[in-house]
Amino acid sequence: MSLFWIVIRQLAEIEAMAASKKVITREEWERKLNNVNIRKEDMNKLVMNFLVTEGFVEAAEKFRKESGTEPDIDLATITDRMAVKKAVQSGNVEDAIEKVNDLNPEILDTNPQLFFHLQQQRLIELIRNGKVEEALEFAQEELAPRGEENQSFLEELERTVALLAFEDVSNCPVGELLDISQRLKTASEVNAAILTSQSHEKDPKLPSLLKMLIWAQNQLDEKAAFPRINDLSTAALEDPA
Amino acid sequence: MPSSRPSSDLILHRLSSSDYEIKLKAIREVKNQIIGNRTKKLSYIKLGAVPAVADSLAKANADSDFGSNLIVQSAAVLGSFACGVDQGVRAVLDAGAFPNLIRLLSAVDEKVVDAAARSLRMIYQSKLAPKFDFYKEENMDFLLSLLRSENENLTGLGAGIVIHSCETSDEQNILCHAGSLEKLISGLDGSISQRDASLESLATILKNNPEAVSKFVELQNERALRSVIELTKDKYPRTRLLACLCLICIKNSSSCYLQDIGIKTKLIYILLELLDDSGQVGEESSFAFSSLVAGKEDLQKLAFEANAIDKFYNHLQNCALHPKRLEGIFLALADLCSKLECCRSKFMSLQVLNLLINALTHDEANVRTAACICLKSVSRSIKSLSAGYFTNERIVIPLVRLLSDLCTSVQVAALGAISNIVVDFTPDKSTIIQCGGLKELVQLTKSMDSSLRLNAVWSLRNMVFLADKMCKEAIFMELTVSAVASLIRDPEPSVQEQALALVRNLVDGCMDCIEFAFAEDGIILDAVGSQLQKSSKIEIAIQGMYVLSNIASGNEFHKEAIMSLLFPETENGSHSFLSQYLQSTDSSLRTSAAWVIVNLTVPASPGAFGRIVKLRNFGIVSQIKRMVNDSCMDVKLNQSVSSSIWIPWDAVSEKS
Repeated sequence: MSLFWIVIRQLAEIEAMAASKKVITREEWERKLNNVNIRKEDMNKLVMNFLVTEGFVEAAEKFRKESGTEPDIDLATITDRMAVKKAVQSGNVEDAIEKVNDLNPEILDTNPQLFFHLQQQRLIELIRNGKVEEALEFAQEELAPRGEENQSFLEELERTVALLAFEDVSNCPVGELLDISQRLKTASEVNAAILTSQSHEKDPKLPSLLKMLIWAQNQLDEKAAFPRINDLSTAALEDPA
Repeated sequence: MPSSRPSSDLILHRLSSSDYEIKLKAIREVKNQIIGNRTKKLSYIKLGAVPAVADSLAKANADSDFGSNLIVQSAAVLGSFACGVDQGVRAVLDAGAFPNLIRLLSAVDEKVVDAAARSLRMIYQSKLAPKFDFYKEENMDFLLSLLRSENENLTGLGAGIVIHSCETSDEQNILCHAGSLEKLISGLDGSISQRDASLESLATILKNNPEAVSKFVELQNERALRSVIELTKDKYPRTRLLACLCLICIKNSSSCYLQDIGIKTKLIYILLELLDDSGQVGEESSFAFSSLVAGKEDLQKLAFEANAIDKFYNHLQNCALHPKRLEGIFLALADLCSKLECCRSKFMSLQVLNLLINALTHDEANVRTAACICLKSVSRSIKSLSAGYFTNERIVIPLVRLLSDLCTSVQVAALGAISNIVVDFTPDKSTIIQCGGLKELVQLTKSMDSSLRLNAVWSLRNMVFLADKMCKEAIFMELTVSAVASLIRDPEPSVQEQALALVRNLVDGCMDCIEFAFAEDGIILDAVGSQLQKSSKIEIAIQGMYVLSNIASGNEFHKEAIMSLLFPETENGSHSFLSQYLQSTDSSLRTSAAWVIVNLTVPASPGAFGRIVKLRNFGIVSQIKRMVNDSCMDVKLNQSVSSSIWIPWDAVSEKS
């Protein structure tokens, strides 16, 4: 955070100066960093926002007790949301759908794309389990009507049904649908939809701040040599080359 | 089984079971089957599931745990039936669930209240929902209590009721006076859904209501207005769109607000940017754009400078567009090209026309209508008309085909486009005739639907404008004398006016053309005469007088026929409508009347002297002399030009 502001300020300063690349030493940079005060509460809020949005309910609970930071959402709702997410991640899509409908019947009724992706995931699970006949029937009964309503759904459906045409699905062009990453994709889509229905931001703030940090460093790179953070997990400053 | 069809009435049996567990399970099963699934909704509705569920909602006791569970599930099912499916809404209303849901809003159990409010909100999203009566005091109390609530589902329902039922300015004013604006404004600081609901309700109350708008703007020193402006920059596309719509309503109701060029430009850019949204927001933004620029030249100019036409064109090139999106874009282009030639020439240079031609044969009626409306707007360009861009078969053939479209709005829109296209300023109108357009147009003049008759006659009127004799003859033969006469006597005044204008253009030009008015014992002229005697509407009288004026430009026989129409032997000339019209307060009517006299008294004609004597005897000449001082230049000019060949500049009217 603090780094971000420094970078921005530095950018502005340099903008005003000559075009030649300025060198900022580690000392100078650290002094500047130390001059920036960020309220602890704000940092805590950022952490809480991350825990809540990503659904780490126990960690959030603990963090609340330790830091006194109040979450901006009822923690009980996180448990429900996580149960849905988990169900999708473990391939119990039907169960996940029922849970979403219990949580708020409007979500799937007003979000055709999400509903389609869940049904598609159901189909993928049937195919994964080798239930070919059931899969075909399901595709025909449940998914084909959605494809009629929407061209892009139809294309996705065709891609999914193509899985049935291959003996060795792990080696077929649409094999990635069977990947665990497909489940994760669907799960995060459901997660986001539930958050939106609860009037909560669907993405945590922290990752976008990190993205902004990288962007700002790159901008500054064009004008100056300075100690960069390259490893985000350690946030270590690296001396300018 | 993942995909069991509701095949038997077993489910109905279970839905009405007296065993709580069985019943609850059945209701939940239906719920999970139908949510998100239109096909399933329809089949369960057909099976009769709605009354069974409504029954369990009505009978359950909200105070017991069992009962409240049943209610929550039943309400969710009913809400889902009502979501996005009109048959579902009808079934839920027919099953009598509506008053029960309203009753449950005051239950103690919050879950019950939430479920009932959600269902009602779904119902209110449909046009079929019962109209809310704002005139009843207790209703207003109820509505305000919803808007005031802490519960988001209840405030959302309140907003939904306003959006659904507030239509007239009286209803808007009732809501304003009851303090709903303040309640809705406080919702602007709420959650995403509250904000959106508030913005949409505000737009509903402010629409076309200057009084409500000034009340809104004055609230808290324009603070509310500033919040709405601020929300046009919101992170969520839907919120941005609704904030724009709200501002458009304010701007369109009272021109004194939001005059700043900055905000106008901003609105245009935001709406154009929202087009990129792949969902509903992207669809709706082009409709919002239309209402922003419609009829406003300054905004059309700004939009042109913002490259709006390129932007719409880029979207149109994506061939897999949703019909609603296509419709919106064509309507937006229609409004954008309605006034400025620079917009129209940009449209032509980008070859948008090719995409428009494809849309003329689109499966959706609304898209075909929008394409026609767009064509009508673009074809107002005299430059493009003169270049004959619109009279080639690629356009005319599909357009003529649309004249027999099953949907009336498509037919009307196609007629509108044809009306403009046939004014191609060349005497040759053969393309449209060869394509069977004439037959179709004539057929439509006999339609039971007055808007079709009106627009068909209008097209023919423009078609005969400056047409050559052959072409006029063809049209006249197809129409038949008696049909023309009866169109002049049509029950609809607007059709009468267009029919007279048609005759006016028909008898303009050569002597032979004037003869059209005398065909079959002059029944057309008789009809014209009787409309002029009635003199019901000024517009009708003007067209009628120009018919007479054009005929009076003919030979002696023609001129005398007009004289005897103006001064029938049985009547006293001072009561003549000519004398009335010369004194009309409407300058166009005075002008047209004066033209009749000019053409009757052209000195070169042998009988002119006799006619002047007659006119003097009837007191017309003294009237004319008084008109030399007419404040209207046109009228005055006519008096000073003793012999003039009159060119009917205003004989054709553009459809706007």
